[in-house]
Amino acid sequence: METFVSYIPYILMGLPMTFLLLGGGLALGFGIGLPLAMGHVYGAVPIKRIIDFYVWFFRGTPLIVLLFLFYWGVFPALGIPLDAVTTSIIVIGLRSGAYQSQIFRGAFHSVPEGQYVAARAIGMGKYQAIFSIIVPQVLRIAIPPWSNEYAGVLKDTAICFSLGVLEALRRTSYVAIAINEALLPYIFVGFLYLVLTYAGTGVLNRIYERVKIPGLVGRL
Amino acid sequence: MVEDKTVLKVEDIYKSYGTQEVLKGVTFEIHKGETKVISGPSGAGKSTLLRCINLLTRPDKGRVWLEGVELTDPNVDINKQRAKIGFVFQQFNLFNHLTALQNVMIGLLKVKKMPKEKALEKAKEALLKVHITEDLWHKYPAQLSGGQQQRVGIARALAMEPVIILYDEPTSALDPQLIGEVLQVMKELSSQKVTSLVVTHEIGFAISVADELMFMYDGKIIEKGPPKEVVFRPKTDAAREFFRRIAELYGEQ
Repeated sequence: METFVSYIPYILMGLPMTFLLLGGGLALGFGIGLPLAMGHVYGAVPIKRIIDFYVWFFRGTPLIVLLFLFYWGVFPALGIPLDAVTTSIIVIGLRSGAYQSQIFRGAFHSVPEGQYVAARAIGMGKYQAIFSIIVPQVLRIAIPPWSNEYAGVLKDTAICFSLGVLEALRRTSYVAIAINEALLPYIFVGFLYLVLTYAGTGVLNRIYERVKIPGLVGRL
Repeated sequence: MVEDKTVLKVEDIYKSYGTQEVLKGVTFEIHKGETKVISGPSGAGKSTLLRCINLLTRPDKGRVWLEGVELTDPNVDINKQRAKIGFVFQQFNLFNHLTALQNVMIGLLKVKKMPKEKALEKAKEALLKVHITEDLWHKYPAQLSGGQQQRVGIARALAMEPVIILYDEPTSALDPQLIGEVLQVMKELSSQKVTSLVVTHEIGFAISVADELMFMYDGKIIEKGPPKEVVFRPKTDAAREFFRRIAELYGEQ
């Protein structure tokens, strides 16, 4: 027990890496997911089909397969071998982008069509209407389902263990070997993920409560 | 110089959806300061006609002029022209994430590129014109009654200083006790010579303020004239039947 406690800081030192994978992956996923959703809602049929294919591929493949595929396969084949951390962020981002596109797509569809028509009627162009009227509503509506994505990606970061990324789980596994004791370290790291999930979704809920559209709740 | 006074001219508009011919050659014009009402049974093409005027829907054939500018010309900057046409929707279509005041301001800021101070002043002025008082300015659409929402909708159109306002059945989605406040505002604007084209079944409104009532049936305007004339002495069976049903519903006039 005492030996384990002395290793706790070592595990916690993995958190910055976990946060880097989480933040990088979610941000990249957002950057991919929102335009994909927009393309799917407003784009021409060929664009929709390409987006469908993207989503089909990245949602239908286990993360660990994607990590191995890109780390040892795709990037080296392209002549740009990337380190494990960069690969992990990109792969998590590509995959989260597929999931986030579905979240935002749903949100786009839940903004009444009349809002877009009204924006055009006062003289806004297509993109102006989308960006000044529709997107601000989409981002608000999407927060609750997006907090699911946060929770999902947080736990996905643990899978980057498999590429040797020194995040919280990998460090925990080293501790387990060092002290020859698995129960406490893994309970501890599991608890860590629980707390981070709880804290993150809590923050997102509070943001949602602050920015949600008054009076509209329960109508969507 | 009749041309100078003509605000809107619609010439021989046709529109089909698939094999369904919705508009079959509609022609009319509106002069500055006039209020004209279009009435007729559902499916006659009234809403489609309004949407063809500001090109929210592009007509298959025919031309539309706004103050001498041909809107149906493919080279025209339609966004710029649309900003001059107010549009009031049956379902209000207010921007849900914006307060009443912001709903009215956003067009001034984003489309007219007005400085914020001036937009604020204009928006307040427009809201007061439709009797939306200060206590409601910071409410969101979902916190307003239908009648209040529709009046904000009218203010949103009005603030842009349009050359004409198109109303698409503005009271059809309202509870009966809320219709009056909206019609009252429309009447006031009409008497202030705000050029208006109103699609409505509110015959009382047509009789009290409209310069002309056009009766639309099966994609065409089949009767037009002074409202009382058209309502009480219709020439066609379709119009007679329509106004009889309306009279039945409202119990005379």
